Amino acid sequence: MKVAIVTGAAKPDSIGHEVALRLLKEGMQVVVADLYEEGFAALRQCLCVRCDVADPSSVEDMVARAVERLGRIDVLVNCVGGSWGITRKDLIASPPSGFRGLTSCSLDDWRTIVAANLDAVFYSCRAAAPHLKKQGGAIVNVASIAARKGIPPGSEGSSGPYAVAKAGVMGLTRQLALELGPHGVRVNCVAPGVIASGRLKRVLAITQQDHGPEGSLKTIPMGRVGAVDECAALIVALCTDDTSYMTGVTVDINGASYAA
Amino acid sequence: MPLEGLKGRRALVTGAASGIGSSIVQRLEREGVAVVATDIHPGKGIAVADLTDADDVEKLAGAAGAIDFLVNAAGGPAVVTRRDTLPPIPGAIALEDVDEKTWSAVIAANLTTAFLVCREFAPRMKARRFGRIVNFASIAARRGSDRVGVHYAAAKGGIIGLTKTLALELGPHNVTVNAIAPGFIRTPRIEQAGWGAASAAFIESLPLKRAGRPDDIAGVVAMLCSKAGGYVSGATIDVNGGWYFGP
Repeated sequence: MKVAIVTGAAKPDSIGHEVALRLLKEGMQVVVADLYEEGFAALRQCLCVRCDVADPSSVEDMVARAVERLGRIDVLVNCVGGSWGITRKDLIASPPSGFRGLTSCSLDDWRTIVAANLDAVFYSCRAAAPHLKKQGGAIVNVASIAARKGIPPGSEGSSGPYAVAKAGVMGLTRQLALELGPHGVRVNCVAPGVIASGRLKRVLAITQQDHGPEGSLKTIPMGRVGAVDECAALIVALCTDDTSYMTGVTVDINGASYAA
Repeated sequence: MPLEGLKGRRALVTGAASGIGSSIVQRLEREGVAVVATDIHPGKGIAVADLTDADDVEKLAGAAGAIDFLVNAAGGPAVVTRRDTLPPIPGAIALEDVDEKTWSAVIAANLTTAFLVCREFAPRMKARRFGRIVNFASIAARRGSDRVGVHYAAAKGGIIGLTKTLALELGPHNVTVNAIAPGFIRTPRIEQAGWGAASAAFIESLPLKRAGRPDDIAGVVAMLCSKAGGYVSGATIDVNGGWYFGP
C-alpha cells in the first residue's frame, strides 16, 4: 500500500484536508503532519503527527515516525503555508488587518512567513527524499498566484513575504525535479488563485466582501473563486500516473486570472 | 479511482487517427466518454475532415452534435494534404530554406485548424454553459525548435496566444481553455522518421531519463477534462520529462 504525507491538512476547511481525504480514496495510507491537533479527531483514518514544519528536527521526527509505522513514503504533498495562522500561537486567528508589503512588514513577519512557506517545504522534501528515492514517487508543492503577480498594495490577508516565499517554492520545485528525476521521483507544483477555503472566509470577514487576499474577486474571468475539491483533485492528479511525464512544472489554477 | 466528471460526457478529438490523438481517444473512452474522432487521414472510426477548411469544420460540427470536451490534437511538423495525409516527418529546416508554401501549410495545419474548430464549437459550449477545450502547443514554442524550424515553433506559439485569449473570452461562460506543450514523445511516426533512435545522450539528459509515450499526454488531457481541470484555464502545461520548465 502506498504511503502519502500531507503537511497542513488538519484544518477541516483547508485544501490539505481535502487532499488527505482524496489520497485515502486513492487507496493510500495517509500521514497528516500539522500543528493543529484539534483537527486530528476528524482524520481517524490517517496517521496524524504533531509537527512544526518550520522546525527541521520536528519534520525529521515526523518523517521517521511515518516510515517506522508505515514502512515507506511514495508521495509528499506540501500544503502548509499562509501569511497568518501558521504558528502555534495564532493557528485559528483572524488575519491581521492592514497591508504587509516587503517595505512595511516587520522582520519577525518576514522570518515567520518565509519559514512556514519556504523553509518548511525544503525541510520536508529533504527528510522524505531518501525514502521516496527507494521506489520512486511524487512530490507536489503548493505555491500561489501571489508568486506570479505579487500582492497588490492595500490587500489584506496575504503579504509580500508570502509572495516571495511562494516564488521560492517554484524554484525549489524545479531544482528538486532535476535532482530527484533520475530516481523516479517527480516534483511538481500548483499555484492556486483564490480558493474557497476556510482561510478565504476569514479574510473576507475582515475586508469588503469582493476583495480577496490577492486583489478583487470581481476581475476573475471565470466569474467565481475556485472550489477546494477542484484544487485538491488537481494536486492528487499530480501524485498519480496521469501526470507520469510531468516534472518541474507549476500548474496555475486560477480561473484564467493569470496565464503564465 | 476513475477521474471525476468524465463518465457520460462527449468529446471531439482531432488528429485522432494516430499517435497522441489516438491515445487520447482510447483513454477518454476508457473513462466512459463518448468520443467523436476526426482526422484528415482515414482510419477505423474516424470521421475524415480537412480542418483547415471552414466548410469541412462546419460539416463535422453538424455530424458531431453537442460536445463537452474539445481536444485539438491535429497538427504536426509535416505538410499534410488531402492526397498525402501521412507524409514522412521532415527534419530540421533552416530559416532561409522555409519557403512560403511550407510556412503557410504548417501554420494552417497547426494553428488555423484549432482556430476554426474553436470558432465552430465554442458558441455551443457557451450556450450550454459548460466546456473544456484542450489545445496542443509544443516544447518548440517554449524553448524554440531545433528539430523542425521556425514555421512549426511560430504555429505552436500562436496556439498559446489563442489559448490565453479564449480563456479570457470564454471564462465567463464556464468554458476552460488550456494548452499542453509536449516534449519528446515517441510515437510510431516519430520512430519511422528516425527520431526514435535519436541520441541516447539526449534521452539521458532528461531528468526522467526516458522519452515520453502518447499515454503520458493522454493522462494530462483526461486530467484537464475532469474535476481537477475545473478551475484551470489559460494555462500551458509542459509535459516533457523535465526537459524544459516553461516560463
